[in-house]
Amino acid sequence: MATFSLLEITIDIIFSWIRMIAALLLSIAFSLVVGILAARNKRAESIIIPLLDVFQSIPILGFFPLVILGIIAVIPGQLGVNLAVIILIFTSMSWNIAFGVYEAVKSIPQDYIDLSSMSNTSTWQRITSLYIPASMSRIAYNTQTSWAVGLFYLVSSEILTLGQGQCSPSCQVNYGIGVATMTFYYIDNNITGYIYSVVALIIAVVIWQFVFLREFAIWAERYKFVEEPRAAKKDPLMRFYSWVNHRSISKLFLFTHDRGVTRFSSSLTRFRRGIKYAILILVAIFAAFEAGAIASSGVRIALPSLSRLASAEGTVLAGLAVSFLRVWYVYFICSAVALPAGIAIGLRKELYEALSPILEVVASIPAPILLPVIIVAAARSGEVVAAIIIFLGMIWYIIFNVMGGIRSLPNELWELRKEFNVSKWSAWRNIYIPSVMTAFVTGSITAVGAAWNTLIVAEYFVPFNRTQPVTQVSIGIGKIIVIAANSGDLLTLTLAILSMTAIIVAFNLTVWRRIYHYVTKKYTYNR
Amino acid sequence: MKQQEVNISSQEIEFSQTTEVWKALEIDTAKRQEITARGQSDLEIPIISVEHVSLDYRKEKEQLPVLVDVSLTAYKNEFVTITGPSGCGKSSLLRIIAGLSKPTSGVVKFKEQPVTKPTTQIAMIFQNFVLLPWRTALENVMFGLSSRQDLTEEEKKNRALKALDETGLSGFENVYPGELSGGMKQRVGVARALALEPEVLLMDEPFSSLDNLTAEHLRKEIYSLLINPTSPIQTVLMVSHNVEEIVELSDKVVVLSARPAHVVADLKLDLPRPRNKKSQEFFQWVDKLYSLLA
Repeated sequence: MATFSLLEITIDIIFSWIRMIAALLLSIAFSLVVGILAARNKRAESIIIPLLDVFQSIPILGFFPLVILGIIAVIPGQLGVNLAVIILIFTSMSWNIAFGVYEAVKSIPQDYIDLSSMSNTSTWQRITSLYIPASMSRIAYNTQTSWAVGLFYLVSSEILTLGQGQCSPSCQVNYGIGVATMTFYYIDNNITGYIYSVVALIIAVVIWQFVFLREFAIWAERYKFVEEPRAAKKDPLMRFYSWVNHRSISKLFLFTHDRGVTRFSSSLTRFRRGIKYAILILVAIFAAFEAGAIASSGVRIALPSLSRLASAEGTVLAGLAVSFLRVWYVYFICSAVALPAGIAIGLRKELYEALSPILEVVASIPAPILLPVIIVAAARSGEVVAAIIIFLGMIWYIIFNVMGGIRSLPNELWELRKEFNVSKWSAWRNIYIPSVMTAFVTGSITAVGAAWNTLIVAEYFVPFNRTQPVTQVSIGIGKIIVIAANSGDLLTLTLAILSMTAIIVAFNLTVWRRIYHYVTKKYTYNR
Repeated sequence: MKQQEVNISSQEIEFSQTTEVWKALEIDTAKRQEITARGQSDLEIPIISVEHVSLDYRKEKEQLPVLVDVSLTAYKNEFVTITGPSGCGKSSLLRIIAGLSKPTSGVVKFKEQPVTKPTTQIAMIFQNFVLLPWRTALENVMFGLSSRQDLTEEEKKNRALKALDETGLSGFENVYPGELSGGMKQRVGVARALALEPEVLLMDEPFSSLDNLTAEHLRKEIYSLLINPTSPIQTVLMVSHNVEEIVELSDKVVVLSARPAHVVADLKLDLPRPRNKKSQEFFQWVDKLYSLLA
């Protein structure tokens, strides 16, 4: 039996956690600046909010190759790699915390603003004594989910192998729980070590939940203006559910959150204008990173010929089309499982209460760390591995939303069922499923968004010491991105990420928004 | 458990102080009449004068008039109440007087100087208390003083403690608003306004979020706190639609019409104090206001 040291695993976890905490602190600082600015300044709002919205709906993991190449160009070595990992985690955590701050500050009752004006408080005093405290409970609340999302990115970024040719000695962090698992499995062939390190990660997740996340949320309760109903406070899953809900009823689809539906059209035109800024800034960021990467890696600086551009874009579009189908067929399988399961669990109070803390922990285990297991389970079929990873990335959003949706139904519906002696089948068809439709669609929007992110690890995976992938699909956008990043093909990389972003944003604005409006209009109780 | 204790003691305070308040009111009335007599010559200069104020609310491309040519004055030692049907723009008017929003036309003057932005000489008591839940009673009162560069932290604290003491909250300095009853929350709101030592006090339906009994006690107490010779407050403007409350407290009532609001009546309410709620004159005034508001 191969040996391993528990101390080493602990050190790896500590390294990973330091990255996570650094990213969280960065996210909170960023969110406070951006959120307060957007909430208190109309002009800033019209730029920041659409920008945040685009960022939150695009697959951030796709950026990683560019980020890491760009940063290593400026700061080489471990410091640069670590910085890149922290920035990646930060990008996954920060959008929803920033939205939280924005909404918290935006919803401070006007009386409090008046009070500050009448006391002639300075802007700085207002920020420290009103805006920041008022944001605290939302920050704590959103941190819970941001942490779970961040873990996925932590592990992904730790295990992604990138551009051997371009950054020396390596574009890889030396320590980290993701590194540990992959080293045990692929380099040392130490299965016991692998299992122990996965278990260690789960234990760390649970401990962290109790010593920090929960405590933080409880502490932040006192920074609330209005007491929430007790049920919502007591039930962690309800909290999670309402967050997921909150995030995915993204402003991209509605942009009506505190303005009321009547002013929808005018906000939409302003929003469209904002989208333009957002895309411009996005392109600028890409350009900056690319410039950095080109300058450092010594890639010949030459404008690509039109034919090369067309052929690269052709490959990208083909990959996009296949990945699109892949995401959607897995989404249908996922819904077929999660919708009935969510309703069944939600209907039974005891089951729901017993399962919710367990599901919360299971949902925070990052799927990429399970790759070796999944590969074995899938009998090395690249297509099946991809499907499983996408499935694991999606199911929680749907199941939590459906469970939350069914738990929050009015009691009268239950009485209705008893009163009229509705059969089980009829109850499902006529009461339960229609009732959770809105929750299901909101969950689906976020789930599909998350699925695009998982493609980077799902479609093509090269462990550290190999040159050939242990799993891959025949064609897909995630595969194109990883290969382009590894071979330093910045043209294809940029085209792939921009095309994917464009498709996702366009799809959200057209299809999802329509479905969402249809569902909320048809299946709502408060009309 | 703790919550209950605090609530009980808050009730006790409100009851035990009632008799004292009545005594204070009697003394106060005598003094007041004296002041009014002495102050006759000052009456020419209003503390607050609202001159031909109009306000339009812009919605999309339409312009909806809210206030039309509203004028009113508040002299020294006057308690002025602004009333009118709900949604008529009473609170908008109060916000303009506070300098929080600008009128479309017209001007508000404080001692003959136009009010263009909020000043600490004009303080406000809010309907919903507006306390920061993460700060203790003392810290909430000190928040009102946070911009005062001329005061040291120590002086701010002393002022706040004094204001809390005056509003019957000594012993509750370190209690958070969440643990206080509605009446006590509003006392903190009053203390915060008093600590500023303002010359003008604005009150936006200060008693309407409280239950009747609590409101009754607090009304008497606040009145004696505001209008007395030692108080720096020279005039009080209140928005209210509780007719009995208006007749009980006001020296002058300004009645606004429904939207767009203009002044329907500007009445001097010269009942002797303390006012007897069961007297014939009291009822006559109540009826008169009801008919004006209907």
